[in-house]
Amino acid sequence: MKIVYNWLKEFVDATAPPAELRSRLSLAGVAVDSVEESAAGPVLDAEITANRPDCLGHYGMAREVAAIYRLPVKALQPKLKEAAIKASDATRVEIEAPELCGRYTARIMRGVKIQPSPDWLRQRLEAIGQNSINNVVDVTNYVMFELGQPMHAFDLDKLSERRIVVRRARAGEKIRTLDGVERALTKDMCVIADASRALAIAGVMGGSESEIGFASRNVLLESAWFDPITVRRTSKALGLRTEASYRFERGADPEMAELATRRAAELIQQLGGGEILSGVVDVYPGRAPAPSIELSRKELLRVMGADVPDRDIEEILAALGFHPSRTDAHRGTPGSLLAVWQCTQPSWRRDASRGIDLIEEVARHYGYDKFPPRLPPAKQPAHRLPHAEAQDRLRERVVALGYQEIVAIPLVDARRDEIFRAEGVAPAVIGNPLAEDASVMRSTGIVSMLGALEWNLNHGQRNLRLFEIGKTYELRDGEPVETAVLTLGATGLAREKTIHEAEREFTFADLKGDLDGIGKLAGRFGWQSGGPAWLAGGLASRISAGNSGALGVAGQLARRVADQLKLRQEIFVAELRLEPLLAGIEAARATEKFTLIPRFPAVERDFSLVLTDGVKFAQVADTIRALAIPELRSVEPADLFRGGKMPVGKFSLMIRVTFQSGETTLTDARIAECSSQIVAALESKLGATLRAS
Amino acid sequence: MATTDSTKQTLAQMGVDSPTKVASLFDDLRSAFDRDVAHEISSLDLEAARVKWLGRKAGILAEIGDNWLKPAAKEIKPAVGQSLNALKAHVEGQFTALAAAKDTAREQSAAARDQIDLSLPGVERAIGTRHLIRQTYEELERIFLSIGFRVVEGPEIETPYYNFEALNIPEHHPARDNMDTFYIEGSKAGHLLRTHTSPMQIRTMEKEKPPVRIIVPGKVYRRDNPDSTHGYMFHQIEGLAVDTDITFCDFKGTVEYFVREFLGPKAKTRLRPSYFPFTEPSAEVDATCHVCGGSGCRVCKFSGWIELFGAGMVNPAVYGCVNYDPEKLSGFAFGMGVDRLAMMKYGVGELPVLTQNDVRFLRQFP
Ligand SMILES: [Zn+2]
Repeated sequence: MKIVYNWLKEFVDATAPPAELRSRLSLAGVAVDSVEESAAGPVLDAEITANRPDCLGHYGMAREVAAIYRLPVKALQPKLKEAAIKASDATRVEIEAPELCGRYTARIMRGVKIQPSPDWLRQRLEAIGQNSINNVVDVTNYVMFELGQPMHAFDLDKLSERRIVVRRARAGEKIRTLDGVERALTKDMCVIADASRALAIAGVMGGSESEIGFASRNVLLESAWFDPITVRRTSKALGLRTEASYRFERGADPEMAELATRRAAELIQQLGGGEILSGVVDVYPGRAPAPSIELSRKELLRVMGADVPDRDIEEILAALGFHPSRTDAHRGTPGSLLAVWQCTQPSWRRDASRGIDLIEEVARHYGYDKFPPRLPPAKQPAHRLPHAEAQDRLRERVVALGYQEIVAIPLVDARRDEIFRAEGVAPAVIGNPLAEDASVMRSTGIVSMLGALEWNLNHGQRNLRLFEIGKTYELRDGEPVETAVLTLGATGLAREKTIHEAEREFTFADLKGDLDGIGKLAGRFGWQSGGPAWLAGGLASRISAGNSGALGVAGQLARRVADQLKLRQEIFVAELRLEPLLAGIEAARATEKFTLIPRFPAVERDFSLVLTDGVKFAQVADTIRALAIPELRSVEPADLFRGGKMPVGKFSLMIRVTFQSGETTLTDARIAECSSQIVAALESKLGATLRAS
Repeated sequence: MATTDSTKQTLAQMGVDSPTKVASLFDDLRSAFDRDVAHEISSLDLEAARVKWLGRKAGILAEIGDNWLKPAAKEIKPAVGQSLNALKAHVEGQFTALAAAKDTAREQSAAARDQIDLSLPGVERAIGTRHLIRQTYEELERIFLSIGFRVVEGPEIETPYYNFEALNIPEHHPARDNMDTFYIEGSKAGHLLRTHTSPMQIRTMEKEKPPVRIIVPGKVYRRDNPDSTHGYMFHQIEGLAVDTDITFCDFKGTVEYFVREFLGPKAKTRLRPSYFPFTEPSAEVDATCHVCGGSGCRVCKFSGWIELFGAGMVNPAVYGCVNYDPEKLSGFAFGMGVDRLAMMKYGVGELPVLTQNDVRFLRQFP
């Protein structure tokens, strides 16, 4: 809402320059963004919150300024030269839908000369961003910005039977609005009609058929109060937001309606002559007594924590139109803790109906800065999220492994999401998306991860290791389910070339090593072959952890899928469910205990085995462990060799076995004994042979 | 004058028969040693000199012991012994000092030869980073944990009841204009993507009796066309404190504490009256402009203040939805845009950068 400084000063004798007014208004709750110069003088650009439709006019703003400076607001008393003929003899108003229209006032003017507006009026309208049309239309606009009351002017001669009917629109009824668009109406909408047809959409926009043009002579001025919800619904349904609908949907002042027609008639007469028929046609089915509101000092203290003097309370509430009066038994005692004020709600402040509303009015005008700050004592221990420590350890580990954390918008492209969506998962689809590439809540973090990799590859970054701790979304029986996940993505070089080292590509072994590094926090991960179709077959893996069961998948993106997404590099990804992973981390932490560091030296023995294809390292290790040799410390793969001199169907695996005793230095004899036990077991269980070296 | 050859003879053969002559003989030897060693140090054959003087069998000092001391006459024996010890101490001392000097010289020349070009980088291990939003969340959490807040989380896909109605925003409320909403298709309850973290105020109060003091981090969504300050999604942190004795002064103290902790001890706070359906009285929390320090600049539109977030005392209408007694309880709530706070504090010019995940951005905040 733009406020013309000089216009404002017509209603309150404030002397503060615009810049000061800007900051005082801001501190009283009317944020003023800027002050600019215009042909009509300085203009303040104010942001009016949704609860204050009364401030959507200069007069209402003057009330705020008056309360700030504790000045009186000047009463508006339009002076009309009325003709002898009564308005009520020239038109008739009927409200058929009183639930939609609480008041309708009409004033009639005859013989008005429709012409361009004078400079002062055009300048003021232009200063607030309105185009000048003609004197009558401009005046109705001017009055709206002056009093906050939207108005409409009809060409009286175009009204069938020269009468007004306020009713619901009929099924199938249509109207061409002032913007030239034909609009289909529904019976939830309120229209202003004449004897035969709808002339205007109540509170939203007039129709072109009864529009004031330069040929018009006789004018019916409408000033009414329409139901906010109906206006809002209508305006939304038609996609038609106007200055009028903006005010009505926030709640206009029903008492202002009549004054506005008087003010408009006065101005039109000044600018376009003509005669004003006497009186106003006023149908007011929604008249209601002004509610009374109580403010007690006890409540003010309870909410605000510090007091406000009687005088300030009374001056502020009086300036804002609440007519405060002390009604408690102690009213002779200023500052009494038992003080109670009875107030009356002004017709323009439907937003203020409770004691708390008055407390806010008093506090904001007294000044938020006058209340002393204080830190409330904590009565309960502070707590982080459950599993926060486990998540810290996880994030710390992933970061240490060289992964950079990403944060992605979970709204993704439905077609992309589908590629990775597990069978049977119903996605959370957006019913009213703004774009195709943000039309579904992701079913997996892989979609976002590939998006981030793609962005970087397209921006010249080819060596990437990224992770995200986020959520996936789906519907189960129509109910949303959100699942926290850890997603990893890597591509390019594991190590870049430097003056010290050669470069090395990131491989599946890197991903596996990184995941096992994470797995160490949660006991250890188990790996099984197989996985979703979007992973390359040979490298697709499922990961599990101890008691937590299936955790997720890891592998290389299938070439077919990578091609589809135009990703040329080899892409490695993994996704693990966060909750069981964190539970695993916590469980592992709970059982971690110190084991004595052995004092006696460890002995390593290498065994070069020739094995049949298909035998896994884990089988070798398990076979050795099954011997339950107390001195066995570890079994590690040391070398792997296929082809060459190896017979077809065989491969060579060198393993390194470490022995160590907690009690004694191992003798060669004991080592030899253990070694032959191992060789024998591997020969009999796995058909292994020792390779002559 | 005695030469080193003299040590092959006995004292008697040389006619040394008095302590004075003994002393003179040893003085000559000492001078010879000093000359000898000074010569040797330049040619660096320290070990040969050591053998010559201190060699166990044929060394000069050993010969003195054998040829001079052992057969010396009784009258001069003590003098010979003392002089020999003194000479020995001198010779050993000199060799120790020379050896040390030689080591230092060797190290220095080696250092000069091996001097590395320190302007070359070492082998840097790739270490990852936490996202700036995450870092900011951690900072915010730390601040509020320090004054007794508990962290809770809630669903991003919410019902209209928790997102709007229970927060005193009925269906046709104009406040919904600023919260354009994404709706989920095919959800019976009309689920939507929450437009703020405030629903957790309701969910928490439904479950727990006061005192309540929580913060709620999380993603929120608005159906806004993306531009430099708007995206489909951003991050919030909600705060709520409700008890029998929470006042506006407590609200103010908490907010001021936060601003000082987050922006530094010099940052000032200003509360500006505002409007939110679920708080009353409501306030916009402003802080001293971080760019101009309060003197006025383009960023703060020459006001000296920057709007940080919205807040206020909990509207009693909200208590009605959670069976809290509005006449006994009071509290405050706030909702901060984490992206906005991070952008402000770290000078990030535009919102989309925060979710593009360009590693050149991610690396900037290690
Ligand atoms: Zn500034």
